Amino acid sequence: MPNPILVTPIEEEKLLRILWDDDQLSDYPFVYLRGWCPCAVCQGHGGERHFIQVENPQLVSIGMVGNYALNPRWSDGHETGIYTFAYLRELNERRESQSENSTKG
Amino acid sequence: MPTPQELLEALKQVKYPGFSRDIVAFGMIKDIEVGGTGVTVQLAPSTDNAEVVAQIRQEVIDTLTPLIRVPLEVVIQRPTTAPTRSKPELPGVQYVVAVASGKGGVGKSTVAVNLALALSAIGQRVGVLDADVYGPSVPLMLGIQERPRSTEDKRLIPITKYDLKVMSMGFLVPEGHAVVWRGPMIDKLLTEFIKNVEWGELDVLVVDLPPGTGDAQLTMVQKTPLSGGVIVTTPQDVALLDVRRGVKMFEEVHVPVLGVIENMSYHICSRCGHRAEIFSHGGGARMAEQFKVPFLGEIPLVKEIRTDGDNGTPLLVANPPPSPEPGVSPHCRAGRHAVRGKS
Repeated sequence: MPNPILVTPIEEEKLLRILWDDDQLSDYPFVYLRGWCPCAVCQGHGGERHFIQVENPQLVSIGMVGNYALNPRWSDGHETGIYTFAYLRELNERRESQSENSTKG
Repeated sequence: MPTPQELLEALKQVKYPGFSRDIVAFGMIKDIEVGGTGVTVQLAPSTDNAEVVAQIRQEVIDTLTPLIRVPLEVVIQRPTTAPTRSKPELPGVQYVVAVASGKGGVGKSTVAVNLALALSAIGQRVGVLDADVYGPSVPLMLGIQERPRSTEDKRLIPITKYDLKVMSMGFLVPEGHAVVWRGPMIDKLLTEFIKNVEWGELDVLVVDLPPGTGDAQLTMVQKTPLSGGVIVTTPQDVALLDVRRGVKMFEEVHVPVLGVIENMSYHICSRCGHRAEIFSHGGGARMAEQFKVPFLGEIPLVKEIRTDGDNGTPLLVANPPPSPEPGVSPHCRAGRHAVRGKS
């Protein structure tokens, strides 16, 4: 599983940019990242994950969880999301395939 | 004289060392000031790696110098919001090594204690965190009866025995009492053991995990940047199934498995010298091969290991190895891997 090398919030573009050790670069708009928060407060304890619409979320800080995940703190005080590296990669793939579809359509 | 915009454009050629991505894309150039007497670049490298920072700085200089005719100054800013891989929770500890097993009764604590002593014997400063909250056995094995005191600002001082700094739930509950707790309390206690214990400067903190893959394990992998895990098993199939779970757990949370130690590998009869493979043999080595992790060695079932532990003078204290040459015992080998793992 790839590890992040650089994790940088780009405030002007309201996104989190991650450089992975396999040279992939992923951008996560704050709205998208906050929306797919995997925590049980947002998602409950079962069923499919759903998107949580939050207006204009601001990233206050982001920290490492052990060796395997990132934990963002948002301006609305939400801070229970633990995004594993695997989940972050999945989110990026999903977003890229979505934007591909929308440009085609 | 080029404008700041033009210089920023030029800096897009500077790649982050080892990658194809440029430093401008990562917002590392905070500001470019072009004055009559000089150019100042504010660089925020978002990494703590001094080598990488120096390399980026040099490339910035090499890129901009041909374009300007005035002195160039590159100011390195501290990264602000980016997370670092530093260890805020255990600032003085270089390596945190967890000793784990999927099932109970394989001799985890015995191995953990002797691993700590082996590391200490090769000159490392070592601590032992007994994370087995329900069944803490490290105090007994190290023969510790005293209770830890605390500092004025209410931080616990670990107990020092055989040059090891030790903290355990066993110090905090009276002997014979049981800890009957739900998961969140385990998390709270272990977080205290990580954050509020005066570990000081240590080369290695050995964590004796309880069996299984539950709350204690989760707290340790989330609250500390574990450098590696050592898995202890016995040779029979049912124990090896649990090794698999241990390996999977570490994989899932990106903790390198330093290796597998097969405990209770065989027993040599003290009367006739017959070698009995009570729990079968060689399973640990096969498992290590299958998971492509190092096999650190076998520890035979020897009465003295048990009695020494029960007496509070662990094997490596009661019978120190003739020379501290690592490689003679699985403990030393595990210790060596632990120290080498991240260096």
